[in-house]
Amino acid sequence: MISRRRHLRALALTLASVVFLTGCARGCTSSRPPIHINPSMDNQPKVRPQTASNFFYDGASMRAPVPGTVAIGELREDTAFFTGQEADGQFITEIPVTVDEALLERGAQRYEIYCQPCHDARGDGRGILFQRGSVPTASFHDEQYLAYPDGQIFDVITNGLGLMSGYRWPITPEDRWAIVSYVRQLQREQLARAANAPPGIN
Amino acid sequence: VNETYWRSLAQREDSPESRAFLEREFQGGASELPEGITRRGMMKLMGASLSLAGLVGCRRPVEEIVPFVTAPEELVPGIPRSYATTMPFGRSAYGLIVESHEGRPTKIEGNPSHPSTLGASSARVQASVLGLYDPDRSQTVRLNGEAASWDEFVTAWGELSQAHAANGGSGLAVLSESFSSPTMARLASEFRARYPEALWATYEALSDENRLAGVRSATGRDLDLVLRLDEANVILALDADPLLTDPETIRNARGFAAGRRAGPAGGAMNRLYAVEGVYSLTGAMADHRLRLESRQIAPFLVALAARVAPTEAGAAALAGGDVPDVDPRWIDALAEDLLANRGSGVIVAGERQPPAVHAAVCALNTYLGNTGTTVNYYETTDAALPNVGSLASLVSAMQGGAVETLVVLGGNPVFDAPADLDFVAAMAQVPHSIALGHAVDETSSQAEWHIPRAHYLEGWGDARAVGGALSVVQPMIQPLFGGRTPVEVLGLMATAAPVAPVDPVAVAAVAPVEPVAPEGPEAPAAPIDPVAPVVPVVPVAGPDRPGYDIVRDTWRPILGDDDFETQWNRVLHDGLLADSELPEVVPELTGEPLAELARSIGAAGESPDGLEIVFLPSPSVHDGRFANDGWLQELPDPLTKLTWDNPALVSPTTAESLGLTGGDVVRLDYAGRSMELPVWLLPGMSDGVVALTVGYGRSHAGRVGSGVGFNAFAVRGSQALGFDSGASLTRLERTYPLSATQEHGSMEGRPIVRESTLTALRSHTDAEDGEGAAATEHPEGVTTPLGVFAEEPHLFSLFEEQAYDQGHQWGMTIDLNSCIGCNACMVACQSENNVPVVGKTQVANGREMHWIRLDRYFSGEPSGNPEVVFQPVPCMHCEDAPCEQVCPVAATVHDAEGLNVMVYNRCIGTRYCSNNCPYKVRRFNFFNYTKDTPDTLQLAMNPDVTVRSRGVMEKCTYCTQRINREKIDARLGGRELVDGDIKTACQQACPASAIEFGDILDASSGVARAKADPRNYSLLGELNTKPRTTYLAKVRNPNPAIEAAQADAEASHAGEEGRGSLA
Repeated sequence: MISRRRHLRALALTLASVVFLTGCARGCTSSRPPIHINPSMDNQPKVRPQTASNFFYDGASMRAPVPGTVAIGELREDTAFFTGQEADGQFITEIPVTVDEALLERGAQRYEIYCQPCHDARGDGRGILFQRGSVPTASFHDEQYLAYPDGQIFDVITNGLGLMSGYRWPITPEDRWAIVSYVRQLQREQLARAANAPPGIN
Repeated sequence: VNETYWRSLAQREDSPESRAFLEREFQGGASELPEGITRRGMMKLMGASLSLAGLVGCRRPVEEIVPFVTAPEELVPGIPRSYATTMPFGRSAYGLIVESHEGRPTKIEGNPSHPSTLGASSARVQASVLGLYDPDRSQTVRLNGEAASWDEFVTAWGELSQAHAANGGSGLAVLSESFSSPTMARLASEFRARYPEALWATYEALSDENRLAGVRSATGRDLDLVLRLDEANVILALDADPLLTDPETIRNARGFAAGRRAGPAGGAMNRLYAVEGVYSLTGAMADHRLRLESRQIAPFLVALAARVAPTEAGAAALAGGDVPDVDPRWIDALAEDLLANRGSGVIVAGERQPPAVHAAVCALNTYLGNTGTTVNYYETTDAALPNVGSLASLVSAMQGGAVETLVVLGGNPVFDAPADLDFVAAMAQVPHSIALGHAVDETSSQAEWHIPRAHYLEGWGDARAVGGALSVVQPMIQPLFGGRTPVEVLGLMATAAPVAPVDPVAVAAVAPVEPVAPEGPEAPAAPIDPVAPVVPVVPVAGPDRPGYDIVRDTWRPILGDDDFETQWNRVLHDGLLADSELPEVVPELTGEPLAELARSIGAAGESPDGLEIVFLPSPSVHDGRFANDGWLQELPDPLTKLTWDNPALVSPTTAESLGLTGGDVVRLDYAGRSMELPVWLLPGMSDGVVALTVGYGRSHAGRVGSGVGFNAFAVRGSQALGFDSGASLTRLERTYPLSATQEHGSMEGRPIVRESTLTALRSHTDAEDGEGAAATEHPEGVTTPLGVFAEEPHLFSLFEEQAYDQGHQWGMTIDLNSCIGCNACMVACQSENNVPVVGKTQVANGREMHWIRLDRYFSGEPSGNPEVVFQPVPCMHCEDAPCEQVCPVAATVHDAEGLNVMVYNRCIGTRYCSNNCPYKVRRFNFFNYTKDTPDTLQLAMNPDVTVRSRGVMEKCTYCTQRINREKIDARLGGRELVDGDIKTACQQACPASAIEFGDILDASSGVARAKADPRNYSLLGELNTKPRTTYLAKVRNPNPAIEAAQADAEASHAGEEGRGSLA
């Protein structure tokens, strides 16, 4: 029995020292960051993405590229593909990539991620944000949007329109064209539904 | 070739100190803190502070996520992007590809499509990224030492310029660095048009002025020359170092190595002759090296010309044709070789040689038909040519009080101007001085106005490379400290004041880019609005315009107005303007340069008394401009392997005659000036020569470079910028500690470096081809006569062996035949892998941290002319790694692709692994070298690589982060990795393409093909560690005629002293 008591004492001592060392036993809440005895190179004198900086005036370590510079692989001479516009500023009327099943599938997937919360799965502008937050959202099936050339839809995804912000950063140009193709598909489906539906229902 | 290699004189003599250093894995006091606090003392202190502070300081730091407010389209956090840009360096321009992590440049590579780099780089280019983040850079405009603003300067300049414009610019003077830039050239001519009376001086402490002057006197034109070493079969370097200290080092090394590699591959191998007094990197690569003082180069050249020049060149005047102490058979053999390779030979003279030598070299190259094939001449377009005479006349004008306003447009004349001109006193006579400088350096601290200079990675500019290729200097980041480029400063000064307030619409049309948000710590207080002239209150000086607009103004006529934007973007993207290289010029010779050279020798008379003094450019800090760069300061000199210092170099024989040993402090007296500095013994130097390396001894460089070394500019006069006679050394009864790395990690005389000759290699491979490789058998323990093809010893393993036959298996080869020992790989590795700088004292303790070191072995008599072999040694990534077996915590283990990996977090610092490593490539963090890294230097770190802490072992990882990035990219792109996708940092930087890396299981890969070469050998292969890094033996290509003469001379002069002969 002595050995068991010794064990218990050792255990109690360990627990007590843990409480002492960490300032808190398990389950204790604190607004302060956790104790971290062995730094173990968790925090290194280097700059990782999206971290704060003591040096730059705006406190951000990420710097915007210098205006006017061109990175390698970003020459973007194909203005139709990258802006949806011809050299003269006219929106292009046809998607400048081959539209096939793979592109539509990719477009559907990207649409689900980026567009569906507002525009809804059918593109009628009744997404979850509209339902809960009454955010006015455009329906793709309005006359004015049906008349948009492909390039203009691309431009809206890129730069935004009205309340909608631009998606040039999270969505690559390839994916933007995929979304354009999927939006066109949604419009065609809706037109087909409307054509086949009984009067008064769309 | 049964050679005995040695790394240092002490090692060769087997001195007790050297032995002690070798036998201790970790030097005495390894556990001591540098300030003399013992470990025990440290524990006491730590205990006290622990109990006092409790554990409050041990909380995990709070980190914040700071995303972009407006995210740029293509920038994905964590994915680096690359930009093409250009590093101007004097009149050279290096085309670069710079890696940028979230808008911060971190790593520099050569641009494969730019002719001056061809995808490679140099130590200096690699280290220039550290210069960007140097925390000691100047952060503000200064007026008499007090902080001022750019606007105040613009106003002050407006008043000054009005006064000067009124009298045509008399009293105004510009002292510029030499440059080659269309925009700077345009602005300079506009400046001259506005101030026709102004003085303009161009000065470079280390320049090719003599070469330009020589070519001018030979051809009557200002021409640049480009060496096509890849086309050359015979190369003669006269006191020249085209492979390292020449600004065109990268392209020269690329060409030379290409001609070098061709030999073992079965093609024509070039043969390099070097005639020089001080051991240079080029001399180290030479097949035949002749020790000859710099002043003897001219007689040597005359002797050579007498043998090769045609009669119509005035060869009659060259009669005699002997050089004292030089075996005429050496010159005969060289002349025969040059004549046999008309059109495919090349002669190059060093920049410190006088113009007459360069003129004669130009003439000889033309007579030998090399001009147009191996030596190409180009017009010096858009350039400010260096001219020390212009500095001298400027200084006399300053002393005479004729200069009211002096503009120092870059450069540091107070530090590096010739001592006899006394620039400091002259500058004190000038009422208004304006200095543009990266730091508040020697010149800026004496100037009335100081303007912080923008680094080339943070400002717009342009450059024309030697040969003509035009490129734009594209900034990677906004100026960290609000610096200004020379383009902006000269643009401000060259542009006349506008008569009317600037039309905002017109300005907006010129500057389509939005006004740039100012950056830097103090930026909000001092807004730097580049389109300031829009404000109706126009400063009198005229438009202070951003560099972007100024550079684009220059390029509009170059690219044409229609389609300008597309063309411009293409130039930015590609890093150069396609087909902008100038047409080659084949100059006509005017006069008789050879006869003139012969006459000048006759006039020179007898050899003067005293030692010859030679001024060398520093391969690290150049003329001192890189002095505050820790990477370069800690980079061992290629030959002496010294860090952090520049002692006077003498040959062992000279040292002996003067009673000196390495580290003795001497007083050097020369031309009425003197300085005190230590000496160092460099084998292979000419006797009677003392060589000083310039660029050290800065007083206002910053916390790294100030007070490092000794200022050799203090004794250099304007009449002899390269070399002179009449120096003397007096031993003072003091010594000075010097930190050399050459004794660290010796390999105890085992066959570490292997070399052969081309003829031996050919006969061996021919024999093998004839009777089959397996037929050559040798009894155990007997090496073949070549030493290169030593038989595999009997191997057995103590460990369970792994097959490593699945997936990718990474391996590396290093071709000792290509390697020129330039150190580019060391700095590239340091930049890529966040390798810390440890300082001079720690280097002396053997604690330098370079993951790849460059061993330099001498072979031969130290008092004679020893040969040199370089050997880069990174981690060998042994398949049966001895380090792994002894680690008690499995911190170093093998991965499935054959990498010997370090798990930093597991490492508890026993250092057993380092002790057990036969190659001594492991590096231990004795201290927390990176603990106090300034904020700006943290920006220079590679985010993809751990910054190691104290008590952690580290070593070469084969750039595992690069391997993984390429693997991820290939997988995302749905493709297979192909050979060449992955390049290690050292491989990518190497200008000699000596390093191959890839998958050894892929038989078509470059590394697998290299490993199949008969020259391939493993370092200490008999230990059966199965290193993944192997070496290709060095091959020399000696001239049989000289070999024969040498053997003859040795036989006849046995026992005699043959100074400077064939030894």
